[in-house]
Amino acid sequence: MQTWIQILLSSVSLFFLMLILVRLMGKRNIVRMTPFRFVSYIVAAVIAAIMSLNLIGNLTFGFIALSVWVLFPIALDYLSIKSKWIHDIVNGKETVLIKHGKIMEENLLQTRLTAEELLRELRSKNTFSLADVEFAVMEDTGDINVFMKSHKKPVSSYDLGMKLAPLTEPQTVILDGNMLNESLFSLGFNREWLEIQLETIGVSIDNVFIGQVDSSGDLYLDLFDDSIQIPQPKVKEMLYANFEKSQADLMSFSLETKNEAARKMYSEHAEKLEQLMGKLKPYLLR
Amino acid sequence: MTVASQIKKTLATLKGNQGTLRLYALQTRDKESKLVYYETLEATAQIISDLEERIKVLEYQEPQYKGN
Repeated sequence: MQTWIQILLSSVSLFFLMLILVRLMGKRNIVRMTPFRFVSYIVAAVIAAIMSLNLIGNLTFGFIALSVWVLFPIALDYLSIKSKWIHDIVNGKETVLIKHGKIMEENLLQTRLTAEELLRELRSKNTFSLADVEFAVMEDTGDINVFMKSHKKPVSSYDLGMKLAPLTEPQTVILDGNMLNESLFSLGFNREWLEIQLETIGVSIDNVFIGQVDSSGDLYLDLFDDSIQIPQPKVKEMLYANFEKSQADLMSFSLETKNEAARKMYSEHAEKLEQLMGKLKPYLLR
Repeated sequence: MTVASQIKKTLATLKGNQGTLRLYALQTRDKESKLVYYETLEATAQIISDLEERIKVLEYQEPQYKGN
C-alpha cells in the first residue's frame, strides 16, 4: 500500500475516533479547565497526531497510550465525584485571595499571583476599586471570582422590596419563516393559534424571522422587513389601566348615589378591586 | 349621560377586562399567575352581577331612560 493512502486512511479513522473520544471526555469548557485536564487533552491530541502521520511503527502502542490518556481522566472524574479527597487531590482547592476586604498576601504568594495580576483580574470583573471587594477567591480552574461589599452590589428587586411575577424562559415558535411545532406544542398551543395571532397582527409567516412566545403567552416578532412597524404586546398594561378606570368609576358612583345600600355595594367593590389590583400589578405591569 | 348609562359603560369595560383576563389565565404557563388571574376573574364576575342588578333597579325607577 502506498504511504499516502495509509496516512489518509489512518487520519480519517482517527478523526472520527477522536471526535467520539473527546465527546466521552466530557463537555466542560476548555477555558474553565483545571491545568491537569488541559494536559491530558493535549497529550491525547498529540498522540492522535503522531498516529495519524504514521510516525510510530506499531499502531497498537499508539492505541494503548491514547486509551490511557483518555480513560484515566474519565476514571478520575468518576472517582472525584465519589470522593471529596480524590477531588481535592486531582483538582486542587480554591484559594481565598481577599477576605473581609483585606488581601491575604501569603495565599497570593502560594498561587504565585502578583499584585498587578490580581488587580487586572479584579478589573475584568468590573471591580476597579479594591475598596469595593469583600471577598475574592481563586477557583481550581484559575478563575478569580469576586464578592462585592453589600453596598456596592447591583440592586435587585428583593432589595427594593418589590414582588415580581415569576417568568419562565420564552419559547421560539417561528424561525426563518417556519413554525416550530415542537415548542408550540410544549406551550400547549397549536398551529391554528399561531396563525390567528399572526393574522391579528397582520403579517404573513414568510415575513417573520424570529417569533417568541413569553411565559404569559404574548407573541414577540422580528420581521425581515424592518420598515413595517408591528404593535408590540401591550395588552397587559391596557388591562391594568382598564381595571384602574373601573375602580375609579366605582368610587365616583359610590360618592354620587343617594341610595345607602348601593353606596355600600359600590364602595365595597371599589375596595376589593383596589386590593386585587395590588395583587395583579406585578403580573401585568412588570 | 344618565347614571344608568355611566354604569353601563363601566360594566362594558369590566366585561372586556374579564375576557382579556380569561385569555391570560388560560394561556399563561405559570401556576401562580394563573391563580391570581382566576381570583380576579371571580371578583370581577361578582362586581359585574352586582352592577347588573343595580342597572335593573335604576331602570325600574326611571323607565324613561331605559335602553340608553
